[in-house]
Amino acid sequence: MSTPFVVPRCTNCGHLAYPPRILCPVCGHGTWGRALADTGVVEEVTVRRPVFKRRQLPWGNWLDQEETVLAAVRTDAGPRIVCRVAPGTRAGDRVTLAARGSTAIALPGQVVEAEPQSPSNAGPAQGS
Amino acid sequence: MAVTPVIVGAGQARYERHPAVERRTETFIAEAAIDALADAGISPNEVDGFGVASFSLAPDHAVDLLWKLGLRVRWVMEDTNGGASGINMLQHAVRAIEAGDAETIVLAAGDRMEKREFHLMTDRYNRVARDFLAPLPLNGPNALFAFLTQRYAREHGLEREDFGCIPIAQRGWAAGNPGAVYRAPMSLQEYLDSVPIAPPLTRFDCVPIVSGGDAIVITTPERAARLRRPAVGVRAIRALHNHDQQEGDGIHSGFAEIADSLWTAAGVRPEDLDAAFIYDDYPVMVLVQLGDLGLIPDMDVKRYLHRTILEDRWPINTSGGQLSAGQAGASGGMHGLVEAVRQLSGRADGRQVEDAELALVTGYGMVLYTHGACHNAAVLERVA
Repeated sequence: MSTPFVVPRCTNCGHLAYPPRILCPVCGHGTWGRALADTGVVEEVTVRRPVFKRRQLPWGNWLDQEETVLAAVRTDAGPRIVCRVAPGTRAGDRVTLAARGSTAIALPGQVVEAEPQSPSNAGPAQGS
Repeated sequence: MAVTPVIVGAGQARYERHPAVERRTETFIAEAAIDALADAGISPNEVDGFGVASFSLAPDHAVDLLWKLGLRVRWVMEDTNGGASGINMLQHAVRAIEAGDAETIVLAAGDRMEKREFHLMTDRYNRVARDFLAPLPLNGPNALFAFLTQRYAREHGLEREDFGCIPIAQRGWAAGNPGAVYRAPMSLQEYLDSVPIAPPLTRFDCVPIVSGGDAIVITTPERAARLRRPAVGVRAIRALHNHDQQEGDGIHSGFAEIADSLWTAAGVRPEDLDAAFIYDDYPVMVLVQLGDLGLIPDMDVKRYLHRTILEDRWPINTSGGQLSAGQAGASGGMHGLVEAVRQLSGRADGRQVEDAELALVTGYGMVLYTHGACHNAAVLERVA
């Protein structure tokens, strides 16, 4: 069960800004709601290879470092998001975006993970 | 009579891959400052202004360094703008001397930077990096510039061997710089075969992380006239920060918006330049800056890369740049300034550009989310 990805939306002019700002870069107001930004198109993909194969955790155990597939995704709603994508994802693919780690917008530690879109909900997405 | 401050010294602390444990950040900054003062022929007790940029000076600040160096000053600053810190400090220092707030200013930058320190820095570069990028995990900006490289390649029809012209040409220049960490010539095949870091970026598209320091000395023309060395004047400085709110594509930079004003203020054109010192964290950003500042004729990027940079060896980043000499943290923001001053003073032994009189230096940096937010550029000239 994943949580759809939401981004801050200026309550005055409707501009979407991610990551969150204090004042809206378009109209200068400082009150924010939220809007869905859960669909988009992959612009570029790269693979981050870990510098070290294993990393020692603060409590002493070792963790295998994996390759991370990362992408720039242009959401249909507007903002460009840097996120993880499933291996095999290519530039031009449509994806759905899910918030990972938190249900609220813009909380520290929020990680965005893009998952390949299932055929049942493919098609043009609604901007919000 | 208007005061027109001039740069009269440039110095470095030798860039090192693996410094001894006792060589701390302050060691590198101090060595660079002392080297720059020696180059100028100015004694520390004549200094009355000091500025510093560093990622790893904490818990110390500029005033702690002043104290440790025994300097008594009327003007002090600490700059946090990374790759744009050198020119930002120069912009402030020039105005301070013009206004009479100080007469002789040392600007220094440096970092002890090894892998562990580098990752600590990048994971906590800013709140957004810490909260929205590091958890992916991202570990530094390589992946972001891999995106920008792909985007720029699409827009200009470039392949890897085109981008390779920059690190290959700069490696050629590095052969003349004993301070560069990579000095051996690099072939196209070596470049193409190098270890992938974040495709399409490979090892030689990324700066070698080093520890080191860079510094310059700025003073009044009166004092400069008493020194037995050429002086370097500042024709113009322009800057633009956060030009696109991180909502642009990162390959159309703030430099495009300052170019006209910079060249008008400098009273020269890009074709008048004898050399350029372009902030080179990645080859793609060298191209973005050259293009946006008007140095690439007709924006024929491919031709410029192969003809001007590789074949004609038009002088860009003659120290080898950060791609060959190394990136010592915030020192990267002053690296180009130091090399420009050396070239314009006729003190670039082993790689001196003949009759170098006019040069462009750029600063770029501070990735807020997807690309750098700080842009600045200076046009420098030999004045005596």
